[in-house]
Amino acid sequence: MKKPRKNWLEWVIFAVSLLLVLGMAGVLVWESFSLGKKEADPEMELGPSAAHGDYFAVPATVVNRGDGTAASVQLEVLLKLPGRETEKGEFQLQYLPRHATRHAWVTFRHDPREGKLEPRVLGYQKP
Amino acid sequence: MSPMNPSSSSPPVVQSLREYARGIAGGLMFSLPLLYTMEVWWTGFVVGPARLLLYGGFTFVLLLGYNHYAGMHEDSCWSEVLIDSVEELGLGLLVSAGLLFLLGRVSLEASLDDTIGKIVVEAMTVAIGISVGTGQLGVKTEDAGAGKRRSLREEIRFGGQLVIAGCGAMLFAANIAPTQEVVVIATNSSIAQLLGLMLLSLLITALILYYIEFAGSDRFVRRGDLTAVVVGTFASYAVSLATAAAVLWLFGRFENAALITAVAETIDLGLATTLGASAGRLLVQ
Repeated sequence: MKKPRKNWLEWVIFAVSLLLVLGMAGVLVWESFSLGKKEADPEMELGPSAAHGDYFAVPATVVNRGDGTAASVQLEVLLKLPGRETEKGEFQLQYLPRHATRHAWVTFRHDPREGKLEPRVLGYQKP
Repeated sequence: MSPMNPSSSSPPVVQSLREYARGIAGGLMFSLPLLYTMEVWWTGFVVGPARLLLYGGFTFVLLLGYNHYAGMHEDSCWSEVLIDSVEELGLGLLVSAGLLFLLGRVSLEASLDDTIGKIVVEAMTVAIGISVGTGQLGVKTEDAGAGKRRSLREEIRFGGQLVIAGCGAMLFAANIAPTQEVVVIATNSSIAQLLGLMLLSLLITALILYYIEFAGSDRFVRRGDLTAVVVGTFASYAVSLATAAAVLWLFGRFENAALITAVAETIDLGLATTLGASAGRLLVQ
C-alpha cells in the first residue's frame, strides 16, 4: 500500500475528523445500548404564578421521563376557584423528545393563588 | 481530500486550504435546503440512535465508493480513499454543528440526544456534498493530472457507475424523504398514477443517460446499443428505488405504514432519486 502524501494541515484535519467521527459513533452506540424500552412519559410541573398586566402567568415545565418521543402533546391546567367557575389554561407541544424538558406558560384571568391549580397531560401521539 | 499533485512531495498548505473551502462550499450548496427543514431537525430524536448509526454507516460506504470511483485522486489507493472519507464525514459534522448553532437549532440547554440527532442527520448530506464539491467544483487545469483522470474515467465500470448513481440519488432523496409531503402524496396516489410515475422515471433515466447529451455522458455510457440502453436504464432505476426505500426507512417513513403505502412512497420518491442517479452520475467528470 502506498503511503498517502499529506501536509501538516491535512493531517490535522484528518485527526480532528477521526476524533469527531469516532466520538459520534461512540455516543450513538452508547445511546442505543443505554436506551430503555419505556414508552414516552410526559409529566408537567407548575411554578409560582406572576401578574402580567391583566392576566396571571403560571410557568409549566414538561419533562419526558420515557425512552420514546411524544408528538402532539396536549396539556391543560385547571384553576379551581372556591365558589366560582373553574378556569382552564391549555397548550400543545409539537414534539417532546425522550428525556427532554420544555418550558411553557399558561395564563389565567384570576389570581391562581386564590384557588388550586391542577395540571394534566391530556394526550400525546407516537411520532 | 488532498489535492492532485503528480509529484511525490506533499501539496502546499494554501492548496489544501482551497480544497477544503471548495468542499465546504459544495457541502453547503447540496445540503442547505435540509438545514432549513423542520422535519429533518426532528428526525434525529424520532428515529433513535441505532438507526442514526446505520445512516452514518450507509453514508460512509457511499463516501468510500464515491471517493474511490470519482474522488480527487487520480491514483487513489485505499488508505487515501479512507482518509478522504473520514475527513469528509468529520467536516460534515463540523459544518452541520456550526450552522445549526448559528441558525439557533442546537443549544447547550437541549438534551445530548436531541443535539446529536440533529447534527448527525444534517451532517450526512453535508458530507456527501463536500465529497462531490471537492471532486467536481475544482478547476481542472493540470494537464498531466487531467489526462490521467480522464483515462481513469473511461475505465469506470458498471459497478462504479452504480455507486456514483447511488450517491446522486442519496443527495436528492435526503432533501425530500424527511418531509410529510412524501406520505401525503403516497396515501393519495392511485395505482395508475404510480405506474405513470414509474414510466416517467424510466423515460427520464433513459433520456438523461442516452439521449440529451449531458456534458461528459459519452464517457459513461455507450449510445446506440439497445441492450446497453435497456440494461443501463433499468439498473439505474433499480439503484434509485433502492436508495429511495433505504432513505425513507432511515427517516422513519415506513413506520406503521401499509405495504402499499410504503411502495407508493418509494415510487413517489423514486422520481427524485432517478434524477439524482442519472444526472448525478453525469456530473462526475
